[in-house]
Amino acid sequence: MNGSKILLVDDEEIFTRNMAKLLTTRGYKVTAVNSGDAAIRALEAQPVDVIVLDLKMPGLDGLSTLKEIQKLGLFTQTLMLTGHGSIDSALEAMKLGAYDYLTKPCEIDELVAKIEGAWKKKDSSLKDDMQGKSRTAGEGPKSVFEVFPAKKR
Amino acid sequence: MTTTKATIATSGLPIEGSDRRREQYKRFFRRFVLLTLVSSLVPLLLVGWGINVHYTRFARERLTEKFNREVDNHHRAIELFFKEHSSKLQLMARTHSKEYLSHPGNLNKVFELINHDHPTLTDLGLIDHTGRHLAYVGPYDLMDKNYADAFWFQQVLKKGIFISDMFLGFRREPHFIMAVTSSENGEPWILRATINTETFRALVENVRIGKSGEVYLLNTEGIYQTTPRFGGAIMEVAPLPLLAEHQGTDLRFVTQDYPGRSSTSSRRIVCSVWLKEPRWLLVVTQSYDEAFNAVNHANFAVLVFLLISALTILIVAVLVTRHMLTMIRRRDRESDQLNQQLMQTSKLASIGELSAGVAHEINNPLAIISTERQILLDCAKQTGQMEVSFQEQFNDSMSQIDIQIQRCKRITHNLLRFSRRTQSVMETVHLNAFILEVVDLMEREARASGIKFVTTLEPELPVMISDPSQLQQLFLNLITNAIDAHDGKPYGRVEIATTGTADGQGVRLSISDTGCGISAEHMEKIFDPFFTTKPVGKGTGLGLSICFSIIQRLGGRIDVHSEPGQGTRFDIELPLHPPAEMMQYN
Repeated sequence: MNGSKILLVDDEEIFTRNMAKLLTTRGYKVTAVNSGDAAIRALEAQPVDVIVLDLKMPGLDGLSTLKEIQKLGLFTQTLMLTGHGSIDSALEAMKLGAYDYLTKPCEIDELVAKIEGAWKKKDSSLKDDMQGKSRTAGEGPKSVFEVFPAKKR
Repeated sequence: MTTTKATIATSGLPIEGSDRRREQYKRFFRRFVLLTLVSSLVPLLLVGWGINVHYTRFARERLTEKFNREVDNHHRAIELFFKEHSSKLQLMARTHSKEYLSHPGNLNKVFELINHDHPTLTDLGLIDHTGRHLAYVGPYDLMDKNYADAFWFQQVLKKGIFISDMFLGFRREPHFIMAVTSSENGEPWILRATINTETFRALVENVRIGKSGEVYLLNTEGIYQTTPRFGGAIMEVAPLPLLAEHQGTDLRFVTQDYPGRSSTSSRRIVCSVWLKEPRWLLVVTQSYDEAFNAVNHANFAVLVFLLISALTILIVAVLVTRHMLTMIRRRDRESDQLNQQLMQTSKLASIGELSAGVAHEINNPLAIISTERQILLDCAKQTGQMEVSFQEQFNDSMSQIDIQIQRCKRITHNLLRFSRRTQSVMETVHLNAFILEVVDLMEREARASGIKFVTTLEPELPVMISDPSQLQQLFLNLITNAIDAHDGKPYGRVEIATTGTADGQGVRLSISDTGCGISAEHMEKIFDPFFTTKPVGKGTGLGLSICFSIIQRLGGRIDVHSEPGQGTRFDIELPLHPPAEMMQYN
């Protein structure tokens, strides 16, 4: 959905820059970072709707970054990017709660489609959460409004 | 067209016996046979030698004993002969007077008395102290002979009794005499007898010892006193050097040629003893070979036995070594196959790791190229109007970039698939049904190439547990290759057959085609990654590597038989249950 906030995480700077440009052209608000640590910091600064996260990165890799993100308890969906060699890791990431995975090189239309799917998932789970259908006290991800109340206000 | 038939093991590498290996086998064969022979023959020969030495010594002792006994017997007999006749003469001389004996009739009585049992005397004479005959009985006319100068005359007067050596005398034939003295009124007289040479010689010469044995007498000058059996004659000088005076029996082995002897061997056993009176040497001799005939026979038997034993050992050593060598060859071959399989596996594993890294690293720049293309397309869209020719070229280039990106993606995709260690999903697989599905999938492509599928599937094939996705990949690759092998050769056939293995523990699948076949020089490389004979862009050279990798993972084996120009057959065996490590993934 146009206007969705996307966080692009990949150690290939040119790739993130190009992808950011392509996604921006298609109406998304894109933040591009080049490491797992930078991604955590960016999320702490500003929540996003969908994270596109590369699996193989120096330092904090995709899986570790995903685990760290989940500790933040955000209402966000993650798409894993893989160089295909790490499909096992991508499947592992999905077990950890990632929405889906994409193999490099990927078509922009394919990525957009997956982002849209992820956004819808995020949206529906947020609605569920607000209606209290899938949440019990002290469990599960908190609402974006709860996590970042000041900014929402 | 040359028809080459190549068979390849799972490893994909032919097993060949190198010249060096063949030379090693030959060397091993020689060494082992030699060692076996040495270790067996040395003790055998030692035992044989021991038996021979012991038996020869024993036999020699027995023979020496026998010879000594023989000589002793003859010695006694001859001594007895002399003693008997000298005693008889002495008795006659002492019991009869000279006067009585000087009558020829009386002397003849005495002569006949002595010769009563055996004709041992040739003649008998009574001689006075001047050497003149007083009386004579015998075949010769000797009455007028005077013996005063005869060599024996003084001897007998001096000693009282004398036995001469053989001599010719007045009668000019070999004989010897025996003379005794007596005296009357201080005048000595002599009773002299000529011993019958034939009787005496018969006593000595008629003794037979084997075929080559002989007995003879020699005087102190080494002259024959009897005629030896072989060569030489009485009164001749014996060729053997005369033995020095010795006490008792002397036995020795003499090697000397006897002139005129028929015996081929010159080695003889010579046993001798000196008589007391006369001082003659009694010699008993026999050919060494004849005497030791029994020993030689025994030794020959031992030799034959040793020879047969040695031959038996040689044959056994050769057979055993050959059998061992066959076993070693088989083990070596198996070990070679295993080694080559391991080498191929480790080669594939390292290439796999490398491929995974390369593929991953290529995917990133590919992703960037892809995004750059997309950006350019976006820009072009935003820019709007472009010159027509530029627009066409731009679209062509963008399209070509996309095609090449997809091509690279396909290559990296295959590379990763080749190296991937994904989690296997083990399921029960009905191989026949599974193959029919894959055949269905490929049928359209095959039909387009004019190729017909023929399936011969065993209806009672057992259900197996395997990874369907890997099996699908395996069959797709093999069938694709089978179809591609018919390039430029329409109306081909791809036959797929399944059977159970003989042990009931697996299934056998064969995929054969009527395509171009694989040449012998390519056969070694077909399972190597990136090896392809397909045109550039059509094959990545990973298909069979992937197949090999999959079969290995599933615990099976693959063989390939190919005849260039005729076709290729892949035989695959897969276990009904995958290896334990595969199950662990599940």
